[in-house]
Formats: sequence, structure tokens, C-alpha cells
Amino acid sequence: MNNPQHPIPHNEPERLAALKRYNILDSLPNHAFDDATKLVAYICGVPIAHISFIDESRQWFKSEIGIGVTEVPREISFCQYTIMESEMVEIPDTHTNERFKDDPNVIDGFKIRFYAGIPLTTPDGYNIGTICAIDHVSKELNDNQRNALSIIAKHVINQLELGTKNIDLNTQKKIAQRAVHAKDNFLANMSHEIRTPLNAIIGFTDLLAQTKLDTVQRDYIESVQIAGENLLLIINDILDLSKIESGNLKIDEQPFHLKKTLKHVYNLLKVKVPKDIEFNLFLDAEMPEVVIGDQGRLNQILVNLTGNALKFTEEGEVTISVKKLEETEDRYALRFSVKDTGIGIPENKLKTIFERFTQAEESTTRRFGGTGLGLNIVKQLVELQDSKIQVKSKPDRGSEFFFVLTYKKANQAELVAEPLSGEHLHKLKILLCEDNVLNQKLIKSVIDNFGFELDIADNGEAGIALLSKNEYDLILMDLQMPVKDGYQTTEYIRNEMQLTIPIIAMTAHSLVGEQERCYAVGMDAYVPKPFKQVVLLDAIKTVMNKDSMPVQKRLVDLSFLEEMSCGNLNFKQEMIDLFIEKIQMEVTQLEEAFHNNDYDRVEKLSHNMKSSFDMFLLEDLTGCLSFIEKEAKLRQFTTETAEQLSLLRSEITEVVKILKEL
Amino acid sequence: MKIVLAEDNEILRKSLSFFLASKGFTVDQFSDGKEALNAIEANSYDLILTDINMPGISGMEITQYVRQSIGSDIPIIIFTSSGVEQTELDSFDIGANEFIAKPVSPAVLLVRINKLLNKRA
Repeated sequence: MNNPQHPIPHNEPERLAALKRYNILDSLPNHAFDDATKLVAYICGVPIAHISFIDESRQWFKSEIGIGVTEVPREISFCQYTIMESEMVEIPDTHTNERFKDDPNVIDGFKIRFYAGIPLTTPDGYNIGTICAIDHVSKELNDNQRNALSIIAKHVINQLELGTKNIDLNTQKKIAQRAVHAKDNFLANMSHEIRTPLNAIIGFTDLLAQTKLDTVQRDYIESVQIAGENLLLIINDILDLSKIESGNLKIDEQPFHLKKTLKHVYNLLKVKVPKDIEFNLFLDAEMPEVVIGDQGRLNQILVNLTGNALKFTEEGEVTISVKKLEETEDRYALRFSVKDTGIGIPENKLKTIFERFTQAEESTTRRFGGTGLGLNIVKQLVELQDSKIQVKSKPDRGSEFFFVLTYKKANQAELVAEPLSGEHLHKLKILLCEDNVLNQKLIKSVIDNFGFELDIADNGEAGIALLSKNEYDLILMDLQMPVKDGYQTTEYIRNEMQLTIPIIAMTAHSLVGEQERCYAVGMDAYVPKPFKQVVLLDAIKTVMNKDSMPVQKRLVDLSFLEEMSCGNLNFKQEMIDLFIEKIQMEVTQLEEAFHNNDYDRVEKLSHNMKSSFDMFLLEDLTGCLSFIEKEAKLRQFTTETAEQLSLLRSEITEVVKILKEL
Repeated sequence: MKIVLAEDNEILRKSLSFFLASKGFTVDQFSDGKEALNAIEANSYDLILTDINMPGISGMEITQYVRQSIGSDIPIIIFTSSGVEQTELDSFDIGANEFIAKPVSPAVLLVRINKLLNKRA
């Protein structure tokens, strides 16, 4: 060595890069390293030990005993020499060592007499730091101690490697998660986008099928119809799956009629059962009427499993059964089972049938159809409800799929609030104007399920005749009908008959502007076909509630403002303009303050706005604000506050609209 | 007759001013309680018409200051949309001559103003 003042390894830039890779410098203490340092002190019987790393300018101590500083300048460190070596550097007595005998750390400072240091060498061969044992007296290590020191050095490097691997893994994991998320979002969006035009395709195909066609054309159209419906099934399945995977599918906790739900599933599928099959629904006598859980998902699971059972069974029976296993103070455990005497599943396929796009036989899809997603969805839906789907099966003997769900008990009060039943609407008498016999049948069965009465008119003219003879609670109106279509019929009911009876439009295709046209002629709601039962029921409920609480067209009373303005029309208009300008801005500010939980501001704004409403004698809105102000004063916002606020927003919009039209 | 009007809601303030001006009063209007009080100290008014909740200081504080610090018995009408009975009691307690709950009927306000001014005259 040319006795350089400060030794620099020949591969210094690469060495520094290797060190940086570990992200170890200036990191927090870590007991894996502290333990290694303790071990060194213990094995070598020394008062000072450390693990350190050397960068451009300093020796930084990751872990130390007996040093008491976090770093020292590189040029005064012993270890700057150690990292030049490939093996352990041991100086039994610094006083007899030419290089170190006059070193400040020997004469003074740490008073180093004994030094043993091993370079910490990365797997790619760079000495990034050292592990050292130091004493104030001269000593010599034995072979066991030297050996132990080398082993510890290797462990320290392994520890470092592990750290970077973990960081890498985490990064990879995040990338993977993001990719999955993006995929799910993409799927969900795409499915949605595809569904819209597909509904139009199905709707128009249905319309086309009703026109005069020759045999060949009819055959083609039927193929299109089947393909369209299958495609819709696949897309709905994919949408469900992507919702599950992206965590967007939440399990509801609502009270529902369990028995009714099961009977509904049974009735829905009964129509598909071939006559050689006996289809049963067995319910435990002790089964609860009402439970709290997710009705929709139970429905979906059972329809799926039972649909499969019916598909794969050529003779014998398919049975849905529910048994109460356990009842605690607040919960029921219920075992749901769908059993068939169908083709069964070979033992080696029992596991894979729940995987996506796998069916028991490759030929299954060709023979029985289906998307290959159904069972996977069922499995995930059951698992989302903290359960597990199980299957027992023997080829040619049949299969049983079963699972145990735990539902919370519902009390009587919750039973009343049950959301998805037509129950509390009493027995509505409904008039359907619809020319298509299939649709008539479908709607009839759905309305029967809801527990309502239905009269059917083949066209608008016949509907009007029935309407003038009988009392109805509401009308379901198809738009395309012979003689008098839905629009003409509605216009006649509203204008000639002067009736306010709620009218719900039902149509097979959703054309742009169609909905607006329905409302414009005086219909109250709009349900696109193919319709979901829930959607129809919701629409019925909405219009019936509207009917029981008639929405008064708001009247803005200007008498107060007129009194104030002493007959000066310009001033009156000026105040109206000022109100329109300010109130919309203020309600926006109020909403902002509400979302920021800025109670003071909400209190002030709502108080101040009251005076503006007073000008137009809008007492209900002043009341709204008083409520919000009171809540702000109490320093707590509730859902009621949010409701009042959104009510306020919509009412202001209405008021402003009226004022602008003056 | 000169009236000072303190009310932070712009529409109500402007309307009241317009109304009172139409009835022959001179109205100085303020949206900030502090500014209203400064004007009261600097000028001579025949009547004070004030809201309670305002930026700056409140109508209550204005009343208190006028009665206690200035020692004036100028008629004061307080109006507010707070529906709390105690507010009305407090208003009289600190020396207001009239208390009117919002919405303030212009006719009623005019009657009260005239009554207070006549009594004084």
C-alpha cells in the first residue's frame, strides 16, 4: 500500500451503490441487529461492539454497545481499513501496531487497545460495512470466537437481504393489487356498458319476433333471442364476480321474511321443472318467519344451486330444504340444502367445480349450457356471509349442496319496517295495459307474487274502458300498443278523464328521451323491460307513497315582499334577483360547512338564511334551517340533519325555478 | 327621523331600509354590529333597530352598551328569529323597548316605531 491518507476501495462507486440498495443508513434501531451486536460482545468478552456501515463520508452505527454516538467521520475510523480486506482484521494490541499506535482513537478517544473487525460483504462481493469487537485491553481471539464472528457477519448480511426482499415483495404486492383492482373496475364498467346496448338488442329482437315472419326467419330470430339472453346471463355473472372481488359487494343486514323468500324461489323455479321431476321445498317447522340478513343474496344462491340441480337432473327429484340447527338468544343457525337425483359429480371434480369456467365435464357446457361462473359466485356469496359451501355427490346418484348461515333475530318492530314486500301497500288493484300475451303472463305472475290484484287490457282503448268502469289504485302502461298507445292513453286519462291515478310506464327498450316523454305526458314512473321485480315493486311503492302524500306544487308568497317594497316593482324584482343570487351560493356554503363538520359556520349560515326565507314566507324552509341550526348548536349532526339539508337543497332549487319564471 | 338599522341578512336589511325610507325615515344601515355601534356613538339617532345575531357584536351587546356606557334612553327595537322565550326576557332586561320576532311584519314594525317615537316626543 502506498500509505494513502484515506484508503478507498477500487470499486468505491459500486460499493456505495450496493450500500444504498439496502436503505439501511439512518434507519431506526432494529433488535435483530442489536441482538447480533450483543452476541459479538458476549462471545468475544469485550465492552465495545458494533455493526456499522461506511458511506462516502462517515461510519454510521446501525447498532452499538459502548460507543454512544450514531456516527463518526470516515477518515478517523478503523473500519475504513477493514473494508479494504476480504477477511477478518484482528489487532491484538494497537500499541504495537505501526499503523494505529499513534491514532487519536488509541491514544485518546475510545482508547482502543484491541480491535477485531470483519467486513460485511454483500452477496455480489462489496464490503459495505463491518461488524467489530473492541476492548481497552490487549487480547487475542481463539478460533471459536473468530468463527462465531464470521457466522454472525453472514447473518447480518442475510438480515439485510431479507429486508430488501421484503420491500421488493411489498412493492410487487402493491403493483399486483393495483392491477387486480384495475381489472375489476374495468370488468364492472365494461359489463355495465355492454348490458345497456344488449338490453336494446334483446328488446328489439322481442319486438321483431312479434312481427310477421316466415319459418326460417322465426328460427333465426329465436336463435338470436337465446344467444342474447345467454350473453346477458354471462355479463350479469361477470358483473357480480367483479363486484365481489373489488370488495364492492356488501352483505345486507335487513330484516326479511325467510319463509316467503324461500317460497318465492320455489315458485320462480317451479315453472321450469319438467314433469318427470318432483320439485320439493321442505321447511323446518321451527324455522323463524323473519330474520336479519341479506335476502337478495340468499335468493341468488338458492336460485343458482336449484337451477343447476334442475338442469342436471333428468328424472327423480330436486329438493330445497331448510333446517334450524341452533337457536341462541340473538341468532339462528340454519342449514340450507339443495339436493337432486341428477347425474352427480365424480369425486375428483368435487373441488374444481367451484372454480371459474370449470364444469364437471368438458362437454357439460355444450350439453347443459351455463357460464361456468355460477358456482364460483355461489361459493363467494356464501363465504361473504361467513360460511362455507359444501357438496356431497355420487355420479349417477345425485348431488347435495349445503351451507349453514347464521342470521340475527329480528324483533317485531323491524318486521314492520321490512323493505322488500308489497305487504304494507294493502291489496292494490292494478290495471295493466299491455298487448303482448307473454308479457301479460309474466307481469301477472309477478303482481300475484307481490300480493296485488291485476286486470289486463290488450290496448289503451280497452284500458280506458276498464278504467271508467272500475276503481284502480294504479296503472302499468306499456308504450307500444295497437289502437291507442301508452302515450295517447295517458294523455286521454289525464286530459279527458281528469284522473290523477298513478301511471307507471313499462317499455322494452330505453330510447333516449323516451323517459322524458313519459313524464311529459303525465306518467309518474318508468320501468324498463326486461324489468327486475324489485325495480317494479320500488316504482309501485314510490308512486303509491307519492299518492298518499300528494306533493303540493310549491307556492311562493310574495305578499310580504310586496308590503316591504311599498308597491315598487323595481325594488321587488331587485330583491328577488338578490335572493336567487345569494340563496344558491349560501346553500352550497352550508353544505360545505356541514361536510367539514364546521358547526359554528353551519349555525351562523343557517341562522342568517332564515331571514331570507322569511321574505318569501317559506315557513317550512325556515323550519328546516331552525332544525339544522339547533343540531349545529348541539354540536352533533345526524342523518336527519343530512336529510333536512338535501331537502333544503331541492326545495331551494324549486323555489328559485318558480321565482325565475315570475 | 333618523333610524339606525343593524341586520346582517342583506335582503332583509335592504327591504327594511327601503320600507322605512318609503315611510319617510332616514335609515343608516349596517350589516356588522360593531360598525352600527360606532355610528351610534358618532351620530345622533332617534331610534335603533337591531337584529341579535350579527358579525362584530350582537344586538344584545349594542343595547347593553347604549344603556350602560353611553347612558342613552334612545328607543331600541330588537328583532330576532331565535324562538327562545328567554331571549325576549333578556332583551327587555337589558333595556330594549320592543322585541319583535321574525319574520318582522312591516306594518307591525311601523306601528311600534311610531308608538315609541310619539311617546318620546
